[in-house]
This record gives sequence, C-alpha cells and structure tokens, in this order.
Amino acid sequence: MSAVLDVPSPPRRGRWRRLPYMAGRAAVPLVVLALWQWFGASGKLPPYLSFPSDIVSATRELAGEGELWTYLRDSLLRLIGGFAIGSAIGAALGLVAGLSKPVGEFADPLVAFVYPVPKIAFLPIMLLIFGLTSATQTAIVALSVSFPVFLAAQHAVQQMDKHLVWVARNFETPFPTLLFRVVLPATLPGIFAGLRVALALSFVSLFAAELIGAKTGLSLLITEGQDWVRYDIMLTGVVAYGLLGFVADRLLMAVRKRVLRGVLLGTGEAQR
Amino acid sequence: MIALKRMWSGARAWYSVPLMLLLWQCVALSGLISARVLPPLGAVFAAFVNDVISGNLPYHVLVTTGRTFAGFVIGSVAGVLVGFGLARVRWFEYLFEPVFFAGYPVPKIALFPIFTFLFGIGTPSKIAFAALECLYPVVVATHLASRATGREIVWAGQNMGMTRGTLLRHVLIPAALPGILNGLRIALPIGMTVVIVTEMIGDTHGLGFYIANSGATFRYDKLYAGMLAIGLVGLVLDRALVFISRRLSHGMR
Repeated sequence: MSAVLDVPSPPRRGRWRRLPYMAGRAAVPLVVLALWQWFGASGKLPPYLSFPSDIVSATRELAGEGELWTYLRDSLLRLIGGFAIGSAIGAALGLVAGLSKPVGEFADPLVAFVYPVPKIAFLPIMLLIFGLTSATQTAIVALSVSFPVFLAAQHAVQQMDKHLVWVARNFETPFPTLLFRVVLPATLPGIFAGLRVALALSFVSLFAAELIGAKTGLSLLITEGQDWVRYDIMLTGVVAYGLLGFVADRLLMAVRKRVLRGVLLGTGEAQR
Repeated sequence: MIALKRMWSGARAWYSVPLMLLLWQCVALSGLISARVLPPLGAVFAAFVNDVISGNLPYHVLVTTGRTFAGFVIGSVAGVLVGFGLARVRWFEYLFEPVFFAGYPVPKIALFPIFTFLFGIGTPSKIAFAALECLYPVVVATHLASRATGREIVWAGQNMGMTRGTLLRHVLIPAALPGILNGLRIALPIGMTVVIVTEMIGDTHGLGFYIANSGATFRYDKLYAGMLAIGLVGLVLDRALVFISRRLSHGMR
C-alpha cells in the first residue's frame, strides 16, 4: 500500500532527535485541545463544555479548598482496596481451579452463569449490607475485579507447560513451593492480562457505585458540578477520573514489566 | 443408552449449580441471613415468572438488548474500519494510533454527563456510550490481527493484480477475521455492562433501571429476578456471537 504522506519513522537514538517524531504523534490531541480552548474562549461552544483554561482554574480552586484531594483520596482508597481484595481472591481461586480438576468442575458452571452479569447489579445488596460507606464501593470493585482475574488465572494454569509441574512433583516439591515457585511464575503473564481487563472494569463499576451510594468521590464531583451548574467543576471531575484511569493502567503495566522481566527476556518487549 | 449417558455426563458437569441453589435455600430458610439480602428461591422464581407474564421484564429485556445490540454494531463496524485504517494506512496510523492506544485505558464512563448533554438521557446516549466502549477493544483487536497478517500473502495478492478493494475483501479481512471476532467477543459484554450501568444511573427503562428500582423499593426478590434475566440475556448474546463467528470463520479452522 502506498503511503499518502511521507511519514517519518522514529529515530533510533538520541532523546532530542526523537522530539519532532513524538510531537507529530501528539498532534491530534494537541490540535483538539487548542481548538477546544479557542472555540470555548470565544463563546462558540455550548456551556456544558467549559474550555481547558477554565478547567485548570477550577482544578486550582478545588485543590486549594482541599475538596479535590478528599474526593480523590476516597476514590483511590476504594479502588485500591477493591482491586487488591478482588484480584487476590480471583487469582488464588483461579489458580486452585486450574490445578485441581474437581474444583474447576465445581466452579465452571457457576462462573459461566454469574460472569455475564455486570457486578454493579449487586449494588443494592451491598448497600443493604454495608450501607452508605466506602465498604460498599470497595465490595463492588472487588466483585467486578475477581471474575476476570479468576478466569485469566484458571486459563493460564490450563495453558501452562505441564512438564514443569510434573518435574516439580517428581522432585517431591511440597504444594506451597509448587504453587509459589512453579505455577505462579508460569502463569503471571496470563494473570496480568486479566488484571488489566479487571482494572478497566473496576473504573466503570466504581463510577456507578459512587454515583448511587456514596457521599464523596471523583464521580460525585462530576454530578455535583452538574447540579450546581458549575460545568468547569464537572469537567474537572471528568478529566481527573480519566487521568486516574490512564495513570492506573500505566502503573500496572510498569509493575508488570518489572515483575515479569525474567519472562519477557528475549520476547522483544524487554528492549522497549 | 448413549444419549442417556451423554445427558448424565452433561448433568454432572452442572452439578454445582443446583448444589449452590440448595445451599442458598437452606441459608435463606434458616434465617441466618436476613430474607432481604437472600430471599428464598421460591420468592425469586415467583417474582421472575410474575414479571415475565405481566410483560414487565420482557419489555426491559428488549430495551436493554436493543440498546446493547445497536451500540455494539455501530462500535464494531467503526472499530473494524478504524483498525484496518491503522494497520494499512501509514499516515492514519501516525496520527491516530496514540488516540486509540493511549486512550484505551481512559475510563470512558467519565464522559457520562457530556453524553447526556449531547444525546439526552434516553436511548441515544446509551447507544452512543455502548458504541464508544465497544469501539476501543475492536480497534485494538483488528489492528493487531491485521498487522499479524503475513506480508507474503499481501504481496502475493498485489502481484496478482488485486485492487485495494479485492485485497481487502479476499485477503486482509479473512486473514484478520479470527482476531477480529475475538475482539468482538470481548466488546459485547463490555457494551452490555455499560448500557446497564448507565440505565442504573439515570433512566426509567431497561434492566439496569429494573434492578436499581427493585433495590430502591426493597423488592430483593425482583432484584434477583432481574439479575437472572441479565445473566440469561448475556448468555444468549454470547452464544449467538459464538455461533455466528463459527459460521463466518469455518473456512479458517
């Protein structure tokens, strides 16, 4: 296929030589931002789309009052707590279900039935159990996270090289050692794939869980801004929530790269 | 005899479901957990049948399924086009790859208020949301699958004088199809989740509303009936997609 434009390929060396290339890559978002600011400042946009400089000043205002930090902290705590609990339970059960056939046979039909139900549907029940506390949101996030991680872990065990387990068994490796030194390292790449899917899901369920049953949180910043007709505050919430999701994913990928550095050696991904 | 044996092994594979239901019933009847949190199965089943007969539940199922389906179709068609564009057109990839790959982890749900301003609170904003959420996984899956297509096949096609359209129809799409179908299968439940979540936040139709409303009015039997309906819809949609995928890609296997 012929290239319509002559596209520069990335220079291999030199941080400064890469600069024009990187600038070109960022062109579309930057142009959109500039147009948004331009049209917004000249009053041609509908009022609910406050322009970037407005959002920045609203962010400053909220950060100065400390409200932004409380809301961010509460959302973060729910997210981290739910993600940690959900992924630990999901991965542990998934590994066991993958290793032991009876457990897998027991879990499969149950998971097949509950998996397609969006876990946010359990929100009324969690509200009944935990009330209007952070525990409700944490539980919803944990529930949403545990299923994809469970499936990823189980699948990873089923796909792993059985010889590794056989060799370890032949050496009479005790079960905990087998689990932590053989099975876990072999299945971590698969588990991380599940964790990434789960992370994206957790943001969707946290949003709804906060809107319906919380008094603080970034999602509430969005609706409160809407209710006060302070669209700059609403968009501050939107930007903050989006950024949080982006940063969380990058963090997870960084952790993955660090944890899996032995596994990724020689796959081409390690050089990047 | 063989049929009986097969039925038995099929039934045995599902033994944990009745077991868990039995456990549920025992706990519900023992009163260890309040009947609100865990209503007896009979009540859930009665609520389900009641609302199915009254036409209430089928109506909400239709609304949610229709929205999910519309959003899924729009998002997947756009996603496949964009994915091929990214894989085949260099300037398009140069400019738009960051939008789709860096934008992938950004939670689109945060745009909820903006979508309600743009499309109103009813069906169009739900469809738009589902389409946006389905778009990203399909773009990524199509892009990766299309990139993995062997250069040799493409070169061979070009050597034989294929035009762009023929190349796309007879080489690129068939080669990338399994990957694309995989992406579609990831996108469908995401689309349904988003539709239900947005219905829960603010709507008066759809299964999300049915569940939120049942919870708000303390009708937990109806809540579980709604979950049952969602599970069934999800199962049927996924099976249908798998069935269509098999038909589409049976030449590839």
